[in-house]
Amino acid sequence: MIEIDHVSQIFRTSGRQAHLALSDISLTIEDGAFVSILGPSGCGKSTLLYIVGGFVSPTEGVARVKGRAITGPGPDRGPVFQEFALFPWKTVLGNVMYGPRQQGVKAAEADAQSRRLIEMVGLKGFENFYPKELSGGMKQRVALARTLAYHPAVLLMDEPFGALDAHTRTRLQNDLLNIWERDRKTVLFVTHSVDEAVFLSDKVVVMTRAPGRIKQIVDIELPRPRRRAELLLDPRYQKYVVEIERMIDDTSEDGLRP
Amino acid sequence: MMARVLSRLAPLLACLGLLAIWQAGSLMLNTESFPTAIEAVRAVPSILGDRESVINILDSLRRMAIAFAAALLFAIPLGLMMGRSRLVASFFNPLLMITYPVPKAALMPIIMLWLGVGDLAKMLVIFLGVSLPVIYHSFQGAKAVEEKMLWSGAAMGLSAPQRMIRIVLPAALPEILTGCRTGLVLALITMVTSEMIARQSGAGNILFNALDMGQYDTVYAMIIIIGAMGIGLDAAFEKLRSRLVRWSEPGFDIPLSFA
Amino acid sequence: MNARALTSEVLLGIIPIALAVALWQAISSFGYAPVTLLPPPGLVFSRLAQQLGTSNFQHEIASTLFRLFAGFSIAVILGVGIGLAAATNPVVNAVVRPIVRVLAPLPKVALYPALLLLLGFGHESKITLVAADALFPILLSTYYGASMVEQKLIWSAMAAGTPRRQILFKVVLPAAVPSILTGCRIGLVISCIVVFLAEMISSTDGLGHMLVTAARTFQAVDMFVPLITISLLGLILNGLLQGLRSYLLRGFPEV
Ligand SMILES: Nc1ncnc2c1ncn2[C@@H]1O[C@H](COP(=O)(O)OP(=O)(O)O)[C@@H](O)[C@H]1O
Ligand SMILES: [Mg+2]
Repeated sequence: MIEIDHVSQIFRTSGRQAHLALSDISLTIEDGAFVSILGPSGCGKSTLLYIVGGFVSPTEGVARVKGRAITGPGPDRGPVFQEFALFPWKTVLGNVMYGPRQQGVKAAEADAQSRRLIEMVGLKGFENFYPKELSGGMKQRVALARTLAYHPAVLLMDEPFGALDAHTRTRLQNDLLNIWERDRKTVLFVTHSVDEAVFLSDKVVVMTRAPGRIKQIVDIELPRPRRRAELLLDPRYQKYVVEIERMIDDTSEDGLRP
Repeated sequence: MMARVLSRLAPLLACLGLLAIWQAGSLMLNTESFPTAIEAVRAVPSILGDRESVINILDSLRRMAIAFAAALLFAIPLGLMMGRSRLVASFFNPLLMITYPVPKAALMPIIMLWLGVGDLAKMLVIFLGVSLPVIYHSFQGAKAVEEKMLWSGAAMGLSAPQRMIRIVLPAALPEILTGCRTGLVLALITMVTSEMIARQSGAGNILFNALDMGQYDTVYAMIIIIGAMGIGLDAAFEKLRSRLVRWSEPGFDIPLSFA
Repeated sequence: MNARALTSEVLLGIIPIALAVALWQAISSFGYAPVTLLPPPGLVFSRLAQQLGTSNFQHEIASTLFRLFAGFSIAVILGVGIGLAAATNPVVNAVVRPIVRVLAPLPKVALYPALLLLLGFGHESKITLVAADALFPILLSTYYGASMVEQKLIWSAMAAGTPRRQILFKVVLPAAVPSILTGCRIGLVISCIVVFLAEMISSTDGLGHMLVTAARTFQAVDMFVPLITISLLGLILNGLLQGLRSYLLRGFPEV
């Protein structure tokens, strides 16, 4: 379980001004839940994710995993960044093997595991390619495999499909759902796409414009396993999308009116 | 506030620290050929008070300034053209590659055969020394200019030469100025070395004559003077640079100088 | 780029060099310059070829190369070490930055008399001068590369369980390699230049010394030989470094 307890984040900007990025966020995420965070850009979604990752420590409040305060990054929480952040000096296999090797898994064993994972994300045959030789969608698959390789209990995904074309995005969404439905990791998923959030999640957390607050949490009660083609025709799905889009429009107007 | 003052003063503190290390080192070694920092600093005014020496040093600076300016006028356009045209680049690149590792000051003896020991030979050598890094950096800067920017320029009706001056030049300016900064230090070095080889006048001549005659105080005082010229010129250029390219992201506040 | 385009570019690049040599030949063969001032290229290159076979000349090249490598290696070790330390440790940074700011623009040749007085006329003073000059470009590009490492690479490694003290060697150093190699390339050119100058100023052997000896006796041919040799050495060393670079950077996107 992840608990975010009255977390606020203030950044000092270069003009020596204080900028309130997150304001008093409280949120609980159950084990095995797929939770999306949705909000306009600049509202602090990434910052919230970095706090849970332990990369950034909050100015106020605490975040806990399994009841223990987060003090730094750890292999129990695996990030997948929008920028992929693959090691350019390592091949696909080298990138995926990095985590297991770091955890002390024997080379031969890590190699076998990583090859299986690479196959699972659909990149069989690309083991010895360097990241620069892959397309964006392929890089994102490698990034996902690299994180899955060290078996984090929590996946922290920051707009992982944001930079991809619509077709690749849909494919990767389906793949992610398949993986998640199989091993039920806790997923914290940042996105600015309403469709994506509703399609994937159990819960959608809608945030306001900066300074980021939680505007509302929507439980998505759609049956699983979800199939995109069926869902798009499902009036319940459509209702969720429209409802959340209205909410976001409201928050934009909040932002305009001082 | 305190931290800000401290960071302003840091280079000064570094100077004092280096002089202190020198002082301690010379007290420890205690040889005649390594005077203390204080002795060397004391000898500085006597050099700067000497009319002949000052004229010599100013002559050096004048030659350097002229050669530096000429080099910029030649190197920046060439570098920019190389950056924007593959043809020009592949035409000149190998020539530059083989001339790069040749020490320009080492051409001094040959150039002296042709032009004599006068100003012209020394300025030519400085010119050559400054040109290469400036060409190189202008080349890199122009090459990195985004194609889309030039397309928008063309769409607005700018002709090719206009695009060069109105778009490529300003866009490459940060990189060009980095090259100029390197070139400035290089000019100083080439100046000292060429005068050392020609041994007729100038700051380098005073330095190495003092070395030959065993006037150690003068040697070290000249080192301080030439060093101060380098640091001063570089600081002044950096001021100018940061003013000219304020829009560019804050780069390095230390120079990427060499040889 | 296909092979044919590459070949035609190489050919294009040879033109100005060939033109320069042709002009050189023309000037001397049409008698615009006497052989004592500008010997014809054929004479210079045959002299070079003949010299290359003599053990004397090989010895001069060897001493120049020894000083060059010694100084350059010291510069690489110190430059990479200090650069990494300054980029990752704020205390080191606070000390190193102002010192570098003062020492980098200092014309190092001006220090050479002091080095001669302190370290003598042997290898040490020349190696020190080469190292001092090659150090700063390497240090600065290491520092630059290491401080520009993408934060998310470091985060990814930390999340995978890399301890903080290993991040330097597992992420920062490999990520800074492109920048470090750029610094090394500049440092190498500088080493060629400086070792030659140092040998010209004071030496009993080496290519620089050859030039000075030839200049004293107005042997124009013998003045060209060491200059061409240092240019060729620079070209060869640069080629080797380029090879190392393309091997080490095979994963990195082209720059
Ligand atoms: N390191 C930082 N320093 C200063 N301000 C920051 C920093 N990181 C983020 N911010 C600011 O915090 C706000 C939230 O950023 P972010 O979490 O990246 O938003 P989102 O991911 O929702 O687009 C933005 O206004 C951004 O400018
Ligand atoms: Mg974000």
